Amino acid sequence: MSPVHFIAVPLFAAFLIPLIGKVSKELVKIIPGIVLLYLSYLSISLFPIGVNRPIVEIIAGFNPPFGITLYYGPIAAFLTTLITLVGFVIWLYSYKFIIREPTEKYYMLFMMLITGSTGIVLTGDIFNLFVFFEITSIAAYSLTAFLRDRDGAEAAFKYLLIGSFASTFFLLAIAIIYANIHTLNLADIASKIKDIPLTTRLFILILIIIGLGIESEMFPLNGWAPDAYSQAPSPVGAVFGGIVVKAAIYSLMRIIFLMFHTADVLHFLVVMGVITLLIAEMSAMKQQQIKRMLAFSSIGQMGLVIIAFGVGTEPSVRAAMFQMFNHALIKSLLFFAAGYLVFHSGSKKISALDGLGHDKPITSFFFAFGALAIIGLPPFSGFWSKLYILLSVADAGLMVPVVLILISSIIEAVYYLRVVSRLYFYKEEATDVRRTPVSGLVAMGILTVVILIVGFYPNLILHWMTPAANDLLDKAAYIKFGLFH
Amino acid sequence: MNSIEYILFITFIGAGLTFIVHHALPKLRDTLAILVSALDLYFVIQAISEKSKVVLSIADFHLIWKTTPYNNLFAVLIAVLGFLTILYAHDFMSSKDRLGYFYMNFLFALGGMYGIVYSQDFISLFFFWEIMTWASFLLVIYCCKDAQPIGLKYFVFSAIGAYSLLIAIVMLYSLSGNLELTNLISNFSNFSVSNQLIVVTLLLLGFGVKSAIMPLHVWAPGAYFISPSPFTALFSGALSKMGIFGIGLVLFKFAAQSGYFSYVQIILAWIGGITALLATFYAIFQTDAKKLLAYSSIGQLGYIIIGLAIGTPLSIASALFLTILHAAFKAMLFMATGAVYFRTGTTDMNSVSGLIRKMPFSFITALFGIITVSGVPPLGGFAAKWMLYESLIQSRHYFLVIVVFAASTAAFLYLYRFIFSLFLGQEEKEWEDVKEAPLLMVIPMLILSAFVLVVGVFPGLILDPISQSMNYLGNFNFNYETSVLFNEWGNQVDMQTVVNTIGAVFLIVGLIITFKGFKKTRYVSTKDIHTSGEIPQENENLTYAVDFYKPFERAIAPILKSSIDKIYTGIANNLEQAFDYLRYVYTGNGQTYAMYVVFFLSLLILFAELIFGINL
Amino acid sequence: MEINWSTILGIIFTPIIAFIVGVTYGGLTRVITARVQNRYGPPIFQNLLDIIKLYSKESNINHGVMQHLGPVFAITASVTTLFFVPVIKDSTVFTNFSFHGDLIFLLYIMVFGSLGMALGAGQTGNPNSAIGVSRGLSQLVGYEVPFVMALVAIMIQFQTTNLNDLLAVQDHFTKWIIFQSPFAFLAAILAFLGMMGYAPFDVVIAPAEIASGPPSEFGGKYLGLMLTSRSIFTFAKLVLFTDIFLGGASDFITLLIKTFILYMIPVLTGIVFPRYRTEQSIRFFWSWPLFFGIIAILVVVF
Repeated sequence: MSPVHFIAVPLFAAFLIPLIGKVSKELVKIIPGIVLLYLSYLSISLFPIGVNRPIVEIIAGFNPPFGITLYYGPIAAFLTTLITLVGFVIWLYSYKFIIREPTEKYYMLFMMLITGSTGIVLTGDIFNLFVFFEITSIAAYSLTAFLRDRDGAEAAFKYLLIGSFASTFFLLAIAIIYANIHTLNLADIASKIKDIPLTTRLFILILIIIGLGIESEMFPLNGWAPDAYSQAPSPVGAVFGGIVVKAAIYSLMRIIFLMFHTADVLHFLVVMGVITLLIAEMSAMKQQQIKRMLAFSSIGQMGLVIIAFGVGTEPSVRAAMFQMFNHALIKSLLFFAAGYLVFHSGSKKISALDGLGHDKPITSFFFAFGALAIIGLPPFSGFWSKLYILLSVADAGLMVPVVLILISSIIEAVYYLRVVSRLYFYKEEATDVRRTPVSGLVAMGILTVVILIVGFYPNLILHWMTPAANDLLDKAAYIKFGLFH
Repeated sequence: MNSIEYILFITFIGAGLTFIVHHALPKLRDTLAILVSALDLYFVIQAISEKSKVVLSIADFHLIWKTTPYNNLFAVLIAVLGFLTILYAHDFMSSKDRLGYFYMNFLFALGGMYGIVYSQDFISLFFFWEIMTWASFLLVIYCCKDAQPIGLKYFVFSAIGAYSLLIAIVMLYSLSGNLELTNLISNFSNFSVSNQLIVVTLLLLGFGVKSAIMPLHVWAPGAYFISPSPFTALFSGALSKMGIFGIGLVLFKFAAQSGYFSYVQIILAWIGGITALLATFYAIFQTDAKKLLAYSSIGQLGYIIIGLAIGTPLSIASALFLTILHAAFKAMLFMATGAVYFRTGTTDMNSVSGLIRKMPFSFITALFGIITVSGVPPLGGFAAKWMLYESLIQSRHYFLVIVVFAASTAAFLYLYRFIFSLFLGQEEKEWEDVKEAPLLMVIPMLILSAFVLVVGVFPGLILDPISQSMNYLGNFNFNYETSVLFNEWGNQVDMQTVVNTIGAVFLIVGLIITFKGFKKTRYVSTKDIHTSGEIPQENENLTYAVDFYKPFERAIAPILKSSIDKIYTGIANNLEQAFDYLRYVYTGNGQTYAMYVVFFLSLLILFAELIFGINL
Repeated sequence: MEINWSTILGIIFTPIIAFIVGVTYGGLTRVITARVQNRYGPPIFQNLLDIIKLYSKESNINHGVMQHLGPVFAITASVTTLFFVPVIKDSTVFTNFSFHGDLIFLLYIMVFGSLGMALGAGQTGNPNSAIGVSRGLSQLVGYEVPFVMALVAIMIQFQTTNLNDLLAVQDHFTKWIIFQSPFAFLAAILAFLGMMGYAPFDVVIAPAEIASGPPSEFGGKYLGLMLTSRSIFTFAKLVLFTDIFLGGASDFITLLIKTFILYMIPVLTGIVFPRYRTEQSIRFFWSWPLFFGIIAILVVVF
């Protein structure tokens, strides 16, 4: 029982899967499930320990700041739990959804994505972070093009193009840091960052913002996202929205709060968050394709999270994490439902969804449920996180973002409800008799139940958010535990 | 568990159950829904004597529900109307599909309303406010494809309202760190004047949208029109009253504490007045009965808002009186219209006519309804109107009273048109086989008719709970007896005398004229009339219904020219157009995206110090 | 409400007096109109004779319950209005129930009859009736506004809404409200023209155009009842105006003089003017009368 398992087990599984694929196709499908189940179990059992006192795992026996460390604090505990649980649900959904060959590649890449994401969340070393980032990215590029059609390939190429910017800039930033203070340990950098001359520090900050901002879907760096989300298979969309982007935002925020925690930077984040939110929601309004619409909505939600992080108070960070949690669940649900809706209607267009509510009542119900939840209506969980974000933003005296957030919520409501209306109230004749597989329904059902339960008992999650927020905000504790554990 | 817990629990669990039952045992579904609403009614009445209080900790907040006289007033209104409309729905909806969906959302909306009226803190109020909103939205879009844009408009306006509430709520939270009502009320006077003003304005805006005050009313005609009639009755009767509930609370618990209260009052009162007048004018020119009633509803809520805004004891009493009465008579009218729709399949006033002999009970309901709306004695409407006028005159709102009077006189026009087009006039062949609505639809209508009659004679019966709830709102006392109303100058109107006089004269003359050879007369059809010598054929349509008030329309044409709805639609369309252009920021071209990245990078580098500061 | 002998006497005699006076005024109108038009005209009691004749006729047909009850509504409103207006100042018999209702009540009970009548007319299915009702209601909106303005001005000025209080204020002829508040009187009297329905505001009945409009399907006892109601209602309205503006009357002679003078205003106007169209008449009421009404209120306020 050690946080290392979060990285080692899925990585091992990823390498194992192609080999097993030679033996049994069925086993390939099951193994990721077992792995994720194990990781979920692990994350839940480690959770209380990590929240109490961060576990710092030293890899290969070199003490920090020289060796690579894993830092399993409250926030990491929370995010790994989120990633593994959402990952498990996504696997459940993929089980019947990904029937197209080569399945073993899909699961291998999926496992790599999990590895990368948990790695990003856990690592205490900036270069290590970069490596995990690359793992995640490469897996993500490949998954985008998984369907091997023209659009997928194009989307993957765009993703790759922009992603390579991210890698380059991030690596450059790391190089500059290393050149200046000769350390790669995050805690160590945090304590020594003031030694770097101001202009260099500014440059590093900019490079990091660009490098990690690309994966965090910050405007205007998020051009890749709509294409990638909409062209990748639906579960991959859920992976992007539910897992990858969360890890990316985490890493961006971790670095900013550790090294550049100043009012100006935070203001910059708020402004960028608002712009991201507004532009994404406005663009989503007139989208023709459902998954593209979901992608823009996803970007918008990330904007919201960035705003909340940017406010930088304890309640706001807590609210941001809560929103990340909710978004991971709800957006996965939406992608799942949309996946089958697209599958059944045979077209990615929203206009093709007319009347599907009659043929596919359950899937449509899940979509409608997710739509109401993501708009932030009670009694679903999205309500509380949005409320908390608004409360904390207002508490910081930023009324303008509050108003803008709410305006964007109205826009969001309009485009989601349009789709919901189409599902239920247009055209009534049955067209398709294929059934949505049970595994998919179970996956969506789980998410629905969780969303509803959290909606009624937000304390279940909120309770764990306070230590997580403190973990992010308390730089001194991070340095203390990271360096001297 | 106390009553409030029971109410919330039963309603929400019941809502979920009806949905499940609909798929498992469709026969039990309606019974279950009726049972749920009946239990609600029982517990709501139980709660009055019980003085229940519920405290629930969710997240960091204490959600509090409590019974106060003011809450009870609205809760009883909701419960009674909810019960009657569900009873009515049983037959009305019997031929429709997706009934599980219908009843579930119906009960959700009911539950949302209970949650709102009992809430003693803003979080639970907003929580249930939103539940009510989406449940009612789902019912608005229930019927058909045409309902989608209307529903969306409803939702957008509701969202604007809800979010202005939310802004006010977050402001209150950041100002006082607390969202409990009692706490906020006592803290309110400590806030700065500008904050007070902003909070009050936002709250009024939020509640105002639900009660459809102009210029935020545009969602209402469509939404009332397109939603299924049982729900429309509840929608207009109870759901829109949630806005009134909130406005009353905001005005007397918050705004009254500050110096600018008189300005808020004046502005709100005039908004109410203009709403009443314009909505009435619009109602006159509707060709669909339900749309007509929808505009009428907007206008009536205008009166209520005037009454609240004036803030004298008599005016508040009239507003609350009208609140209850409006729930009753608007439900009656929507139910009667629904009955017509149920039998004829349309509510178009240009095509339906002459149903009086086929649907006598619906006619009587509609008749009682319009008499109550018009405010003509002896039904309940008179007492409400009387109190409103008296209070307006005595509080020196001279021109407002003229506006209100003009509006309620003009209301005669649409009321007459409503009853004339549907029930009177030529009896056309097309509607020869129409029958009276089923018993379960007639019973709720007659119950409400009896209610408005009793209230008309003995307004004191409901003035008792009203004066109690006014004492909760503030120190408002006014003079009344069971059937006598007094104004502030001490002049009175004795409903008992009025009713006795009217009743006696009516009976005497009525009997005389009936016994003077009525038996000998025979009924002749409406084709057998004086037409200056021409003999109308069976198939000739003699109905005078199209452009019924053309001369009046010509007289007030300049007022009707501009339409706020068009402006909103224009804005919405332009915005969508703009959004459509905006989405081409995402060109789909990788090079462009790369360029964005580089551009952003250079921007940040160029303005690095400006953006990130030098104290990094 | 206490029942005693004076109440009962009032209840019995007020309507009878009202009917006789009203019907005689109606006959006089016909004579005067005829003389102005250089005709001889019918006898003064022609209207009474007409009504008696109508009552003695037998009705053979009806169009349903509402048509049957329409005239009953009308007369109910007329009589009720009459009962709530003090006919003779300070009289124990002829003040009837005027302490139990006020001006606002009267405003509403006055439209009660026409609305009931409209319902009755509606059921007959005659398009002319419907057209008449449509015009009548539209015109109602027109003249009610200045009328209410005049009343509001008076109510504010004397801080009461009860007619008896207004009568008490006008204890000397210099204190008549017509002199105290002339603009209110102007607004009210112009509205009164519309209320009486003589030309130029006779679009509702509009003889030779829509075949007498709402009453066109009524005959025999129904028409008789309607004419009775109209006579009583005319008297009630005249008394109301006398009470409000001319200080009421302490005896019947004064009452007759004052009401007759008032009555001649719409009658004589009616003789010399042609008919307005509905929208023209609405616009008329919303021009000068409205202006006078505003002035009346402003005068009171400042």
